[in-house]
Amino acid sequence: MKIFVDRVKCQNHGQCAISAPTNFELDANGELQYQEAFSEENISDIEDAVDSCPLQAILLKS
Amino acid sequence: MPPLAGSRPRIGIVGSGIAGLRAAKAILKCKVDARIVLFGDEAHRTYNRPGLTKKRYPLSDALDMMIAEDVKVNGAENDALTWRLGTRVETADLRDRILHLSTGETFEYDGLVIASGVRPRTSVWGNGECGLHAHRTLRGLDDARYIHHRLQAGEKITIVGAGFVACELASLAKEYGCEVLMLEALRSGPFENILGERVSVALGRWLAQHDITFLTGDSARELLCDLQPSHPGPPSDGALFIEAIGSVPNVEWLHGNGLDLSDGVRVDEYMRVAPWANVFAAGDVACYPDPWTPGNLTRMEFWKNAIDTGDLAGRSLASSMGHGPVTSRIGYFPSMSTEVLGLRIQIAGNPRMSDAMEIVCGDLDQLDQGVLVAYLREGAMIGAAYMDKGARFNSAYIKLLKSLRER
Repeated sequence: MKIFVDRVKCQNHGQCAISAPTNFELDANGELQYQEAFSEENISDIEDAVDSCPLQAILLKS
Repeated sequence: MPPLAGSRPRIGIVGSGIAGLRAAKAILKCKVDARIVLFGDEAHRTYNRPGLTKKRYPLSDALDMMIAEDVKVNGAENDALTWRLGTRVETADLRDRILHLSTGETFEYDGLVIASGVRPRTSVWGNGECGLHAHRTLRGLDDARYIHHRLQAGEKITIVGAGFVACELASLAKEYGCEVLMLEALRSGPFENILGERVSVALGRWLAQHDITFLTGDSARELLCDLQPSHPGPPSDGALFIEAIGSVPNVEWLHGNGLDLSDGVRVDEYMRVAPWANVFAAGDVACYPDPWTPGNLTRMEFWKNAIDTGDLAGRSLASSMGHGPVTSRIGYFPSMSTEVLGLRIQIAGNPRMSDAMEIVCGDLDQLDQGVLVAYLREGAMIGAAYMDKGARFNSAYIKLLKSLRER
């Protein structure tokens, strides 16, 4: 499974960076940066990040 | 009472919003061999409600479809789940486990999830006219479509209130290039009841700096209209007048069952509606023990709250039918965000319960440069807020939240 962020939907609210700081962060300009790959032990944080997005812009794809 | 031998138990979920859908998904995930029926009074399947006011759409004949497509939420495609859309549950008899539907039918259940949400508060009945305006509210997809159409036409908009819906709508209207008037007669600025007066006043200035006419107190009150629906004044000019003055839990259909309905539906830490072992509630309507301030109850109207409480209600219901362990208690960490005229506003924890605030960094006179605020109760931090155009203090905010979560 990999993380995919729909950049058209994303509005850089940053909720994902609170749920799963291992994979998501806002840079100094407020733009979302993220790493696609995650380790299985972080899956609940990643799922929390997916849920917390108010734009529903984050997907997990295999 | 166990379900009849040989028949699959029936689960009713009242409300097709995200809390209801997540409850259904959780039940399916726990492999409960049941028939689930999801009742929704809107004609639409579950959609992403926060997305309704978050972006401007280009002019198009297909605007209605574009919005629906944009806010679509993947439903649970499963033969065990039946959607009954456009069907209102009129009353419920929890003792006999029967729902009475707007179609005249009844539905007998073995398990029930109450996720009937809230509706906007309004000063007139329905979308009535007061004599001067056609009052409207914004809650559902149909409301959003109507408002996007009117804003696309560049109409002037008057918004009553200064909460999340009001501020996002004002921001959206400015993006469409509309003239915006906001009226907040009760408070000094946006989100005052959550973030306190100082932040609220600073946010009011932010609106004014962005060409929104933001009136408070008497100057706002003077422009609120006569609220008699039958007021024989001049005919309504049909101007766009949106009330965003809070919400009312949808609990009337539960009357007569002896429940505590004083603020939504009272549940325990497993989302169970006492004294019924087979009835659960979730989402905006559920009033639960606040994990953040022991002894208090809380009811939250945020997307993530609906997801987490919906999940928990579904797992608790599955567990009550013998599937899965007794579920964990509420572990929900309140965190939400909004964007108002380019300013990202993030709020976490429970600042509403604070007795003091502290500016950690930044200056309230320069919100766009970033301001980080801590909220304290009896000297201990219980909430935080972060406002910024960019994200220069974002890592400091996340660090602050970490200590808040682990306290």
